[in-house]
Amino acid sequence: MIDKVVPLEALDDLVADGESVALGGGWFCNHPMAAVRQLVRAGRRDLHAFTVVGSVDIDLLVGAGVLGHLSFSMVTLEAFGLAPNVRRAIEGSTNGSRPLGFTEWTGLALLLGLEAEGRGVPFLPYRGPFGSDIPAQYPELYKTVTCPFTGEELTAVRAIAPDVAIVHALRCDAEGNAQWDGTSGPDVEMAKAARRVVVTCEEVVSRAEIVARAHMTKLPGYYVDAVIEAPFGAHPTSHVPRYSSDPWLLMEYAAAAGGEDYAAYVDRQRGESEAQYRERVLGGGRGDVLATLAASAVPLPLSPGAGDLDLTGA
Amino acid sequence: MGTGYDLHELMVARVAAEVDDDGVVVMGSFTPLAYAAYMLAKLTHAADAYLVGFDAVGMAPIPLSFTGAEAAAYKGAVARWGMLTEINSIHLSNHGGVEAVSSAQFDGSGAINLSTIGPFASPKVRLPGGAGAAEVIKMYRKMVAYFPNHNPRTLVERVEFVTGTRWKVGRVAREAAHLQPGPIVVVTNLAVLVKDDDDRPFRIESVHPGVAAADVVAATGFPLEVPAGVGVTPAPTAEQVALLRERIDPLGTVKIDFVPAKERMAYLRTILDAEWARAARSIPAASPSPSS
Repeated sequence: MIDKVVPLEALDDLVADGESVALGGGWFCNHPMAAVRQLVRAGRRDLHAFTVVGSVDIDLLVGAGVLGHLSFSMVTLEAFGLAPNVRRAIEGSTNGSRPLGFTEWTGLALLLGLEAEGRGVPFLPYRGPFGSDIPAQYPELYKTVTCPFTGEELTAVRAIAPDVAIVHALRCDAEGNAQWDGTSGPDVEMAKAARRVVVTCEEVVSRAEIVARAHMTKLPGYYVDAVIEAPFGAHPTSHVPRYSSDPWLLMEYAAAAGGEDYAAYVDRQRGESEAQYRERVLGGGRGDVLATLAASAVPLPLSPGAGDLDLTGA
Repeated sequence: MGTGYDLHELMVARVAAEVDDDGVVVMGSFTPLAYAAYMLAKLTHAADAYLVGFDAVGMAPIPLSFTGAEAAAYKGAVARWGMLTEINSIHLSNHGGVEAVSSAQFDGSGAINLSTIGPFASPKVRLPGGAGAAEVIKMYRKMVAYFPNHNPRTLVERVEFVTGTRWKVGRVAREAAHLQPGPIVVVTNLAVLVKDDDDRPFRIESVHPGVAAADVVAATGFPLEVPAGVGVTPAPTAEQVALLRERIDPLGTVKIDFVPAKERMAYLRTILDAEWARAARSIPAASPSPSS
């Protein structure tokens, strides 16, 4: 029986310096943070990261000197502000180093570029971001094409083929059949576009457990090269339904990234294993709090006075 | 401001008024004012509004929360799909009803700048980027833009860089371009501005209580039409205010964008303390909030 399960440290051999890496998740949800931390520990250099809506994942990689290029449609720390390291790196105010190269995509184009590669075509057309100044910045990525049937002018988006995709799933079996029950964001499109696919997951389970909830499998195993068990592997971003994001840590991160002692903040993460990270950050009941915050959140009743929805089985 | 409501509640109610039962509302990043408006609409005049938040499709309204919004969205949703499978399809095939956005700069043509202040390749301030807004503000039936601080540095004559734009504004031009016809509605802390014709500037639809039309013109970097007898923006109803304070946003997250920058982190801490307390009710042994 095929077994793709490897330890987190195996990532050091799965991603080489200079490669392009698509990172899953979006907003403060489900970024593959255990893998991001491992890339920092491994001292990877000159990676070209792809993110659709990045946050603390991208800012940490930039701040730790891992990236040589950033392709994104948005990177933000939302209520906690602009991403400090991304700003500094692109604005060229990082001491002694050249500015970070970047490619700003329009969001739908980035997804369509990934989808094109996953479908084995060199580009996909759509009714594009007409009027936007972005396509003119990147004539090698955006072009105008004429529909061969109607003559309509469309935007062509070039296929995107990352060397590696890293995505974080809820559970996965040894063959790489991966399930999500909450936010998967761009994970599936990234995995289908990449030459090599790494799935980190909250837990590795048996094939029988995957079969029992087959409707939740979004990424079939034949796309996947390596499976890594990483509990709380999206922390400090969320992995619903297991745990909420950790806004306390995100606020602390934003302050650290904007402050003088950021190098020490990164060095501490670089110097500890993932298990030590979990013990330090999530010990003392904090992991339980984040799990409780996700478990106890409920929607509002659809109309006032209708009574709360029964969500006990959710 | 008058008694009984705060300015941000008036803005939420006015944005909510644009949400109807027609088409899909896709929520992007956690932008509290827009989220609150969608929920308020869903709980009042637009019970059949179809909401998509995170990857939760057809979600029930949720209370605003940094730690609970995402999880709650899934529990009341009818489907769960990733970005491309469903969310891109909603946009690309013109099912988008209303999108409410904010941006660093906005101009009288309906363009937003979320990319750069200064040259694109060597920015003075690198902004976050527009995500899907670069495309979808063009595609939605109605474009709503909101600005908590109406001033001529934000509402500019011409954005420095067009991240995205409404592109075609009037009905004829939009239909010819395979786009749903609908207006641009701008809701600020001073007034409501509307544009529905490519060849005419934004007009002042209403001014908020206590604001003169001349103040709005002076605070706006692009030309405005001032119709005779500009009305006053309606105050939110007592029911709307109660829903916002008691059900939708009891923690006060919408106000984050309205407190002075210096006080912002302290204000956020008070919200996060309240969120921690929500978990502590279930886990009596939980340690005190890390923010205090």
